[in-house]
Amino acid sequence: MQIEPTWGAEAPPSAAPAARALPVAFTGSGSEYFRIWIVNLLLIIVTLTLYTPFARARRLTYFQGNTRIDGHALGFHGNPRKMFRGYLLMVLLGVVYGASGQFSPAVGLFAFCVLAAVWPALWRASLQFRLANTSWRGVRMRFSGKLQGAYTAMLPSFVPAIALVAASQFMQPAAAEATAAASKPPMALVWLMMASMLAMIALFPLSWAWIKRYQHGHYHYAGEQTTLSVGPRRFYGLALNVFGVSLLAGLIFSVAMGVGVGLMAIDSVAVRAAAIALVIAPAYLTFLGTLSSYTGARLQNLVWNGTRSPHVEFRSQLLFNALLRLTLKNVLLTVLTLGLYRPFAVIATTRLKLQAMTVTLEGEVDQWVADTASRMDDASGDAAGDFFGIDMGL
Amino acid sequence: MLRSTYFDGRSPKAHAVRLHLSGDWLEIVGDTETSDARQDADNAAPRLHLRIPVREVQWPERQRHGVRLAHLPGGAMLSHDDGPAWDAWAASVVPDTWVVRGMQSWRGALLAGVFSIATLVAAWAWGVPVATRALVAAVPAGLEAELGEQALRSFDAGGLLPSRLPATRQAAIRQALEDALQRASRPGSPPPAHTLHFRRAGRLPLGPNAFALPGGSLVVTDELVTLLEDRPDVITGVLAHEMGHVRHRHGLRMVVQASLVSALASVVLGDTTGWLATVPAVLGQQAYSRDFEREADDESIRVLRANQLSPAVMVLLFERLREARQKDADDDGGRPFALPIAIASHPSDEERIARFRHAR
Repeated sequence: MQIEPTWGAEAPPSAAPAARALPVAFTGSGSEYFRIWIVNLLLIIVTLTLYTPFARARRLTYFQGNTRIDGHALGFHGNPRKMFRGYLLMVLLGVVYGASGQFSPAVGLFAFCVLAAVWPALWRASLQFRLANTSWRGVRMRFSGKLQGAYTAMLPSFVPAIALVAASQFMQPAAAEATAAASKPPMALVWLMMASMLAMIALFPLSWAWIKRYQHGHYHYAGEQTTLSVGPRRFYGLALNVFGVSLLAGLIFSVAMGVGVGLMAIDSVAVRAAAIALVIAPAYLTFLGTLSSYTGARLQNLVWNGTRSPHVEFRSQLLFNALLRLTLKNVLLTVLTLGLYRPFAVIATTRLKLQAMTVTLEGEVDQWVADTASRMDDASGDAAGDFFGIDMGL
Repeated sequence: MLRSTYFDGRSPKAHAVRLHLSGDWLEIVGDTETSDARQDADNAAPRLHLRIPVREVQWPERQRHGVRLAHLPGGAMLSHDDGPAWDAWAASVVPDTWVVRGMQSWRGALLAGVFSIATLVAAWAWGVPVATRALVAAVPAGLEAELGEQALRSFDAGGLLPSRLPATRQAAIRQALEDALQRASRPGSPPPAHTLHFRRAGRLPLGPNAFALPGGSLVVTDELVTLLEDRPDVITGVLAHEMGHVRHRHGLRMVVQASLVSALASVVLGDTTGWLATVPAVLGQQAYSRDFEREADDESIRVLRANQLSPAVMVLLFERLREARQKDADDDGGRPFALPIAIASHPSDEERIARFRHAR
């Protein structure tokens, strides 16, 4: 059925613009994506992963093309050939980083510092690439965060991490000397390590807040710019809730593990195998699944409920128990099918997460005009995001 | 002719259009039969009319679900909701690539699945070992020695204690090893560079043990020497086994292979939570290390035979190790448990005993 553009025709121009809730729907199909995924997988394997950027472009086109806001899909415009260049760059960086760690801790530390130094720049480039290559109703989006902002946003997480890594590097030889001389290791280093660990934990919600504020404060569409009005206090609140949930889940997990370990003491291969397969592994997966579902659902709600632009408001009502049930079902089926259920799982999770969102628009979008900023052409940022596992999705 | 929607890329406003394909050209004409176009006419806006070469359009791939988006040069775009209708209309100018045909048919997908599995199995069974050999050959000996020294330093820092064996005993064992290797070596190919270190396991769960580190560092624990103090021939057999690891550079191969196997596992489970990928990687690794142990056992057999010793003497090692484990377990009040074979990095004791016993 063809989309009939009726916006301008319905509302008389003199009336005050009304706020309209735009339905968000995801029409992707698990069975169709399964076929796409498996053919992509074969091509990736036989090309020794060189096909990955092309597969990624196809995946993004499929997922965005099936994301409909008010019936109109999100377009993906990324050029797979450019994404390929970015992919090669990221593979090189990854190999050098991985190999350096094997040969000497000093080289590994150096590589880590270099990676830390470029990471915020790569992250920002990835955001720029994804947004500039996403469109709604033909108009491209844009990410306007500055380079300095990216570094500032990551500061609370990087500084204690670097201190910890450096301290542990100096700690190893110092500890060896100490055991040889039967004396205590230098207390200054020990205090530094403990302090940086505590700082990492204490500053983690703050870095969360700054990163999300940077991300959600610079999305542009047709003259609209988003802001995130949620302060660090709410992120600390979320972190405490997550901690509480982890204690509760951890308690149940420990009980299950106790049972499992007890069963392992019985001298029967069948009982031990059953203990691992039916008690220990499910307990472990359930614990991780619970934590990730809780954090994911609450974070999506927190961040999107506080994001708005002058004429657009976002709402997210993702329920924790719905996401938990889905996650556990996905993990179970993925394990039982040795991974073949994976594409169905991804589609189902995306549907749940997207259909929990609503977009409320004020005014007539027909009258809006695209920004005239230049298109983002460098695709190496995008590859960095996927290669090192950071999810850059909207 | 197809009725569709056009976006000019400068505004989110949707335009109803008619699309015509003629030869190498795509014509986009504003549709005069919708109220929107009539409004344009009222405002005296020019009616939309574009001609674009077909090959300059980025045509969407055929799918069942999803909106069809065709990107036009200059940032404009066509958006069509009814996938099958679009595919039927565009089929004449946009033939399916074989990739798309594979993705849209279950037979194609099944074939792709079978090929993927076959390729993965081939890579694991053959590709990874071959690639490892090539990569290992490229690593200079100095770098490998550095790796081994790093490892020994971290063992020492981690609780491995200096040996309490008298210096004469250590010298005797060293000399016995050199003599045995000398007798077993072929003329013109001396045994690989190696250094024998003595250490005490102390409170570490190593117990009687010997291991080889990359670059030729051999480590043997006091506990093992004490266990076999009346049988220097068995000690030589154990050290010869470790020399097998050194000769074949197993330590370095393990490192390279581990990286390749986890890379393989993460390719398959690519866009996913990391914790699921480590399990197949670990399981896959274990099979390789069992092959290494078999190679090392063969080396031990070779050296023993060259020294006029029966390889069957090694059976004593397994018997005494089992007794020692039993004693440990009884002291702790529990029973030692054997994990299923896939997790064990050595072939089962029974298999190794059989090899030594039947070696001729």
